[in-house]
Amino acid sequence: MMGLELRDLSKHFTVRSDRGKATVRAVERVNLGIPEGQTVALVGESGCGKTTIAKLVLKLETPTSGAVTFDGKSLEEMSRKEIKDYRRQVQAVFQDPYASLNPRLTVRRIITEPILAHYKRDRATLNARVAELLEIVGLPPRAADLYPHEFSGGQRQRIAIARALALNPRIIILDEPISALDVSIRAQVLNLLMDIQEKFGLTYLLIAHDLALVEHLSTRVAVIYLGSVVETGESEQIFAAPKHPYTQALLNAVPRPDPDYVPKAAEGFDDTGSALEPPSGCKFHLRCPHAMAVCKTDNPPLIKLADGREAACHLLSGPPPAQV
Amino acid sequence: MTAAPLLQVENLQMHLHLRRGVVKAVDGVSFEVHEGETLGIVGESGSGKTMTCLSILRLLPIHSDGRLDGSVKLDGEDLLQLSEEDMASRVRGPKVAMISQDPMTSLNPVYTVGDQVSGPFLYHKLVRTVREAMAAAAQGLRRVRIPSPERRLKNYPHQFSGGMRQRVVTAMAIACSPRLLIADEPTTALDVTIQVQIMNLLRSIQQDSKVGIILVTHDLSIVAGLCHRIAVMYAGRIIETGKVRDIYRNPQHPYTQALLQAIPHLGQKRSRLAAIPGQPPNLIDPPKGCRFAQRCPKRMSVCDDYPPATDLGDRHVVNCWLAAKQ
Repeated sequence: MMGLELRDLSKHFTVRSDRGKATVRAVERVNLGIPEGQTVALVGESGCGKTTIAKLVLKLETPTSGAVTFDGKSLEEMSRKEIKDYRRQVQAVFQDPYASLNPRLTVRRIITEPILAHYKRDRATLNARVAELLEIVGLPPRAADLYPHEFSGGQRQRIAIARALALNPRIIILDEPISALDVSIRAQVLNLLMDIQEKFGLTYLLIAHDLALVEHLSTRVAVIYLGSVVETGESEQIFAAPKHPYTQALLNAVPRPDPDYVPKAAEGFDDTGSALEPPSGCKFHLRCPHAMAVCKTDNPPLIKLADGREAACHLLSGPPPAQV
Repeated sequence: MTAAPLLQVENLQMHLHLRRGVVKAVDGVSFEVHEGETLGIVGESGSGKTMTCLSILRLLPIHSDGRLDGSVKLDGEDLLQLSEEDMASRVRGPKVAMISQDPMTSLNPVYTVGDQVSGPFLYHKLVRTVREAMAAAAQGLRRVRIPSPERRLKNYPHQFSGGMRQRVVTAMAIACSPRLLIADEPTTALDVTIQVQIMNLLRSIQQDSKVGIILVTHDLSIVAGLCHRIAVMYAGRIIETGKVRDIYRNPQHPYTQALLQAIPHLGQKRSRLAAIPGQPPNLIDPPKGCRFAQRCPKRMSVCDDYPPATDLGDRHVVNCWLAAKQ
């Protein structure tokens, strides 16, 4: 398959707890394709492993087992040269534009650094490229010689986007790209992200906790619970009719700007549960309103449903529960 | 509502004297909160909503030279005229309490939760012994529905999840049965499933105690289900206020309208959002006229003067020339 794919990807961390060493199963056997030109969103609560997946894709972490593949080849099997080429094609935009831009560099340096890491270019070519990138992200040409502190949050995020675009990547990882921005600025940056995706045929891997943003931006969604995908499919399908009880609970809890809408609190949702000692069987069964006996013992596999999406739930896989 | 308001803020000004100039963080804000009522203060960062809350409690950032003006009347008593001792012994805690955004930083990591939740009871001499204070603390944790409170008192904050920490902070805030509870972004740091629980908790506390609540947030979705009235702040001033239904169903100020349109909401398909161009003004030298004018799609020449408050009825008040002209 072309593009990015997560194959049976796992990442475990060893931590010292009060009872000696323990293993955190941050990512557990995740299979996920990220088709070209799509925006795939990873959705889940804090601690569910979405950022670890992003780090694995950026090769900032090494998988415990399984692999991230790019155009069919595992990152672990790539030569140094191939990895360098991979890093050129996969870029990232991070949550906090106050932390992700070096305060001591001018915008020109910030944007040209990735280019110089890969190519030899003379000054005139670089300057032309900087001017072009600034125009794409909607900043004036004179921005090139200013420093990050001279910009607002939204403008800084534009600089980060220009930097990500500098190498003409195919894939951009968006890790909470607007959650650190002012409310009235968010729409500007969101629109910019949609525009450049269309213009350059980019593929996005979006990490976000804001489900309204995810519905707005993504074409495909993977809902992650304690390191595993519990439901994945086309964004429209999942938001219109979530099948997994966890997806349902998540969507029900989202508040809406409507005084007559009351978000539903999921009963028993307290601690997310811990990836340190995940429950037996289906990891969600302790919080699940439909938990059955089988859920305590068997972990349901991810199965394909009639409409093409996949979900991991005994309610959807086995024969329907006996009528009482 | 004919009864006197619990809190009446009039022409509140909070100016911070910094080296680079005077920041008019709160610039003439007036509102009221009644007993058992929840007022949502909505605005983006820098609009002055948190500074308004800190002004009510007279907690100015210590590093800056701040000046407070106007009046903040709680049960008819002007808090701005009280001595610091009176504020500490009679107001903060027993009358006005605050829940801040980040439950990680508002709890001290080196004291047990019991030490911290029992603090208000001892400080305000509601109990005589530490033993009684601990019993009161356990009762407090029970009120915010923390399971097995006696055992949890011995735990440290890091042993609690984010949602549970916010419950602990809430238990401390309501320890002295305050008349007014200020919740500054109480759910922003929490997962969506936990947000709902904290909102429900605040609602049930209000039903039990008739406490007035000021809920500060940048998110118009969160306040929709919980508030009775909303005040929208922009650049240090309230630009529109009204009953929650009027604000959502019939927003009059172009900024309120834009805010409601510029955020993605559930149930919206992929499409471009109506972005608000530009940025909020600098509060050191804010525009003389309407502060939203530079970004406003309906700007007129008259907007160079500050628009008067126009009462549209039913306490729906807006500062916009469009409403003033009708």
